Order: sequence, then structure tokens, then C-alpha cells
Amino acid sequence: MSDKYKLKKWQDLPPGGVITEGGNAADYETGTWRTWRPVWQKENCVHCLTCWVFCPEGAFLLQDGRTAGGKDRKEIKEIDYFHCKGCGLCVRECPVNKQGKEPALQFIREET
Amino acid sequence: MAEAMRQINPDVVAAFPITPSTQVIEDFATFVADGKVKTELITVESEHSAMSACIGASAAGGRVMTATSANGLALMWEMLYIAASMRQPILMTVVNRALSAPINIHCDHGDSMGARDAGWIQIYAENNQEAYDNMVMAPVIAEHRDVRLPVMVCLDGFIISHSIETMELEEDQAVRDFIGPYRGLHSLLDTDRPVTWGALDLHDYYIEHKRGQQAAIESAKSVIESVSDRFYRTFGRKYELFESYRIEDAERVMVAINSVAGEIKEVVDALRDAGEKVGLLKIRLFRPFPYAQIAAALRGAKVVTVLDRSTSMGAYGPLFGEIRTALYDAEPRPLVYNRTFGLGGRELFPDDIQELFAESRRYLQNGKVEKIFDFLNVRGD
Amino acid sequence: MSEYFEVRWHGRGGQGTVTGAKSLAEAVQGTGKYVSAFPDYGPERRGAPVRAFDRFADKRIRIHIPVLEPDVVMIVDPTLIGSKSLVEGIGENTVFVVNTEKDAAETKRALGLTGQTLYTVPANNISYRLFKREIPNSAMMGAFARACPQIISIEALIKEAEHAFAALLAKDLVAKNLDAIRCGYDEVRNA
Ligand code: SF4
Ligand code: SF4
Repeated sequence: MSDKYKLKKWQDLPPGGVITEGGNAADYETGTWRTWRPVWQKENCVHCLTCWVFCPEGAFLLQDGRTAGGKDRKEIKEIDYFHCKGCGLCVRECPVNKQGKEPALQFIREET
Repeated sequence: MAEAMRQINPDVVAAFPITPSTQVIEDFATFVADGKVKTELITVESEHSAMSACIGASAAGGRVMTATSANGLALMWEMLYIAASMRQPILMTVVNRALSAPINIHCDHGDSMGARDAGWIQIYAENNQEAYDNMVMAPVIAEHRDVRLPVMVCLDGFIISHSIETMELEEDQAVRDFIGPYRGLHSLLDTDRPVTWGALDLHDYYIEHKRGQQAAIESAKSVIESVSDRFYRTFGRKYELFESYRIEDAERVMVAINSVAGEIKEVVDALRDAGEKVGLLKIRLFRPFPYAQIAAALRGAKVVTVLDRSTSMGAYGPLFGEIRTALYDAEPRPLVYNRTFGLGGRELFPDDIQELFAESRRYLQNGKVEKIFDFLNVRGD
Repeated sequence: MSEYFEVRWHGRGGQGTVTGAKSLAEAVQGTGKYVSAFPDYGPERRGAPVRAFDRFADKRIRIHIPVLEPDVVMIVDPTLIGSKSLVEGIGENTVFVVNTEKDAAETKRALGLTGQTLYTVPANNISYRLFKREIPNSAMMGAFARACPQIISIEALIKEAEHAFAALLAKDLVAKNLDAIRCGYDEVRNA
């Protein structure tokens, strides 16, 4: 753990339990909670971004891309396993998965 | 109290009416309607909402006030703790009234005494002058950077709240200069420096936050002393953490809160004229409680009668607990006992107080307390 | 508590008894005395008996208890006569001011008084004349000045009451209430 996460003394806390750094949820490793792992199958994905919308941890990382017709769009880049907590929402909501075709998101047990 | 509120001219007032505090907000609403203050007055649907709105407005960075009584205060319970723990310097007039049931609109201190552990500073007043003065000092205390805590300014329902008395009001500008502009900490509306309020806090941090809160309310004692001192130098009326009335050489001292102190002072004067060494210690600050200072002031007292105008059902009165704790280490330790009076507005007359002093004289002579706890002026033995 | 001059008002809810006590205190305060005034709230209903109190002194007033031994008893509603509470705690020097058109001697008998001084004032009549309804408190204040000039003279009362009323009432009502005070003062009868 970095120094930032050393537990602070009471004198060093801002009054009222206020959190003064914005967006520090990103520093919290929810990846340790995961017992099942979503695995993205790039070749089956249609980049509808449903998984990105549903993911409670913001674990789907995006990049710029293009449609077959050449229009700009955002695409899935990868899953950030530091934050993915393995809730399986993405696996359940992925429309490709729902159609019963080759899944765009597999869900596999974490290895012990 | 409405007059003090007008002079303070808070950014937001959120309130719900309840007797006998209604008049405060009613008068203040007139000031709002007449354009005499710039306050945003939020009329809410309950006291729980009133305190919630106060917390939100305070976190947003405004100076915020409200008023309530009895059941209204009870309905705020959850939010009282949140206001204090979130360190919001909200100012609240509590017009003390008995809690239901049975329904009763008259004075006792059960409402604010019940809220004594919520983390609010509690300042009590004998009369309208003191209530006004305390309210003028309240924002300076609440907003002090070492404190940042909400303050209840308490006064007796009807007895004080509905009486008119000769008193001195200060000039608007003088009051505003004394208080100064509001300086918030971590405004919710400051988008350049965004913060999170009310986050989750588990066993890794909760107790540290509570420790910090305890330090803040402890430091309120010295802050109140210095603010009261500046008030004295500015307006000429002197206040300490408690009032010592003829107790320097007193053998028998009564300890009480709020308006009954007036009646006790009359009796003390009469008994002093007759050569009896009696005195009164009147509580001003109940939270934080000035244990050491009170112990020092009562050094030399042989019998201490503590009057509680509220009950802690199944226990001694709340004031008694504090006073006995303060005196436990005294050398020699005085006799200390407890009387409950005035629930639901039952009067305590000067004759009753005379009798109480006669009883304490007996205890002094016999060197022991016969009855540690009893109700006064109640029918039946 | 003899350093206090104490007044006890008896009326009924809706007659302005509490306002009367408070206005009188404000006026007396204007003359430089320390004052306090407060009601004794029971059930807050129109018609229910109400009491209100004044205390006047040359030093700061520290007590808040109801007046037990009044120097003056102000009876705003004569239909209360017969109630024991009107004469509770009175002494030989207690002065009565009663809103009634009846004869003073008869009123004294009805109250069971012996040596005490009693003033009557037709405050309802005055009120109907000026306001076309029953708000006798201003006329009662005028009668008080007649009964207790040592506390406040009629001139001072008019002057100070004008201040007090101006904060509460519209201009024409201030004038009418001052008229009521003067009529109250003028129409007092004594026994
Ligand atoms: S929901 Fe499925 S198809 Fe849509 S972007 Fe995510 S993985 Fe691809
Ligand atoms: S399993 Fe849950 S946390 Fe992980 S990527 Fe899918 S939705 Fe996000």
C-alpha cells in the first residue's frame, strides 16, 4: 500500500468526515472481491456499450474506433480487473449473450 | 429571538411550527415578508425535514437557523446527530417544552436534555436578555474554526418565550460587526473543489471521526470563554460558562438551569440578609460540560442541591449526574442530592425554594443526606 | 416580594386580555421602569377564562411566577365575577378595576370585597362605541391609569401606548385605541 493509504490519525482528518479529493473511488481496489471473472471476447462483441453502461465499477475501458461504415464511435478496449468485482451484470445484460450466440462476455470461475 | 435572527440575517431558515417556538418563526417570517432580511425561508412538512434542509443548506455553504420545541425536537433526532457529526454550524432556538405523552405545552427541559448526547453545543438562558445575548454569540461560537458545530440556544417555554421583559437590544450594525461574515468550509456548491459529504465510514475510521468531534466540542469551552469576553467588551454584559451567584463563601449551594434561577436568586438574597451562607450556581453551558471549572467554583461548598427540570426515567436527573461527577474528586467531598421539579410547567415558588434551603441546612447539620432523589411539588408521598 | 408592583388580569380568550397586559407593560416601560408581562395559558379557546400578569419595579425583575398577591386586579369580563380565582391572594390594599356598567358598590358586594378600593369602567360600552365590537382592553388600560397614577399618568400612558400600538396596528386603529384609553380614563367610577 502506498503512503496515501496509511490510516490517518484523528487529528489529520478533515472535520465532518468530508472527503476532499474528488474521484478517489478509483483508488479503491474492488478487484479483490471477484470470485467470477467476465472475459471479453473481442471477436463476438458488437460494441453496443451496454456492459459499459451497466457496470457499477466503471470497469469497461473505452477507446476511439470506427463503424464498418467508417463513422467515429467509442469501442470497448478492455476490462480493468483492478476494479471489476465480478458481479456479472455485464454478462447478463450483454445483448449478444442474450441472443444465445457465441457470447461476447464469458463468465468463468476465478482460479484458486 | 426573532429579533436576534433578524439581526443575524441568515442565508436559510427551514422550520416547522410547534408551540411554544412557533412565535419565533412567525415573527421571523414577517421580517422575510417585509424584506427586512435576505433569508430564504423554507417551510417544510415536518421537523425531520426542517433539520434535513438545514443540513443541506449548511453543507452548501450558508449560515442556517431554525427553531423548535419538544416533540418537534424529538422528530429531528436522527438529523441532529447528522448535523453535529457533519460539523455543520447550524443555529437552533429550542424553546423548552415538555414531551408528550400526556400532551403538555408547558415548560420542562426533557426535550433538550434528551438531545444532550447528539453532539450539539447547548447554551441555556435565565431570561429573554440572556437568550438574545446567547443567540448573538452563537454564530461566532458555532463557526469558529476549532469548533464547527451546531448550537442550541435554549430558553424556557412560555415562562420566558411568551413574556415581555425590559431588555437591551443592540444596534443591527453592531451585532453584524460582532458576528462577521459567514465563512464556510468545503461548500457543496464549490465545483472547483468538489467534496463528498456523508460518506460511509467503517470500523477503520468511524472512531477517529468521533474522536475529532469530541476534540471540537471540548475546544468549544475556551472558544465560548473568549467569545463571551469579547461580547462583554463590546456590549457590556458579562457571561461565563456558568453563573456564580453569591457562592464564594457559600456552604449550601443550589444548582439549576434556566428561569428558575431568577426565583432562587431572590431567595438567596433573602437568606443572605438573614445571615445564611447560601448561593446559586446557574448552568449556562451544558454541552460541553465544564466539569473542572464547576468543581473549582464549588470548592468549599458543603451541601449541593441539584435541581433537574427533566427526568431520565429510571435514573437520577441529567444535571445531577454531571454535578456529582464533577464533585467526585473534591476534597472534602460535599453532600450532593437531586430534586426533580417543574415537569410540564408545574411552578416552583420562592416558598418552595425556602423550604429546600431549610432542608439543606438540616443535611448540613446532620452531616448526611436523607433522601438523595425526590420529586418536588407533586401530590402524594 | 413587595419591591414589585403586581397586576393580575382576568378575562376570557378572545378579549385581548393578554394584549392588554403586554401593552400596559410596554407603556410603563416607556416611563423608565423595569417591567415584565406574561400570560397564564390554559386551554387556548375563545371564551375560556384567561389570566395575564404585569410586574413593575425600579430594579431588574428576576421572578417569573404567576402573581399570587396582586396589588391590582383587572377584571376584563364581569361574567367571571363569582369565580374564586378573582379574589385569590388579595389584601386590604388590593385595588380592583372592573369592566361593568353596574354600580361600583353593587360590584363590590358581588365580589365579596370588604375595605378594598374598586373602580368600574364601562369598557364594553366604550369598545362598542369606537370599534363596534367587544375589545375592552384599551379602555381597561385607561382605567388603570386612573386607579394607579403612581405607576403611570394618563398623559404618559397615551404617549407610550402610541409607540406600542404603532408597531402593531394601522394608523386609524392606533387613534381609536388611544381614544379608548382616554374614554376609559374619563368614565371611571369609584367606590
Ligand atoms: S454488451 Fe456485449 S456486445 Fe455490447 S459492448 Fe459489451 S460485450 Fe460488447
Ligand atoms: S462483472 Fe460486474 S464489475 Fe466486473 S465488469 Fe462486469 S459489470 Fe463490471
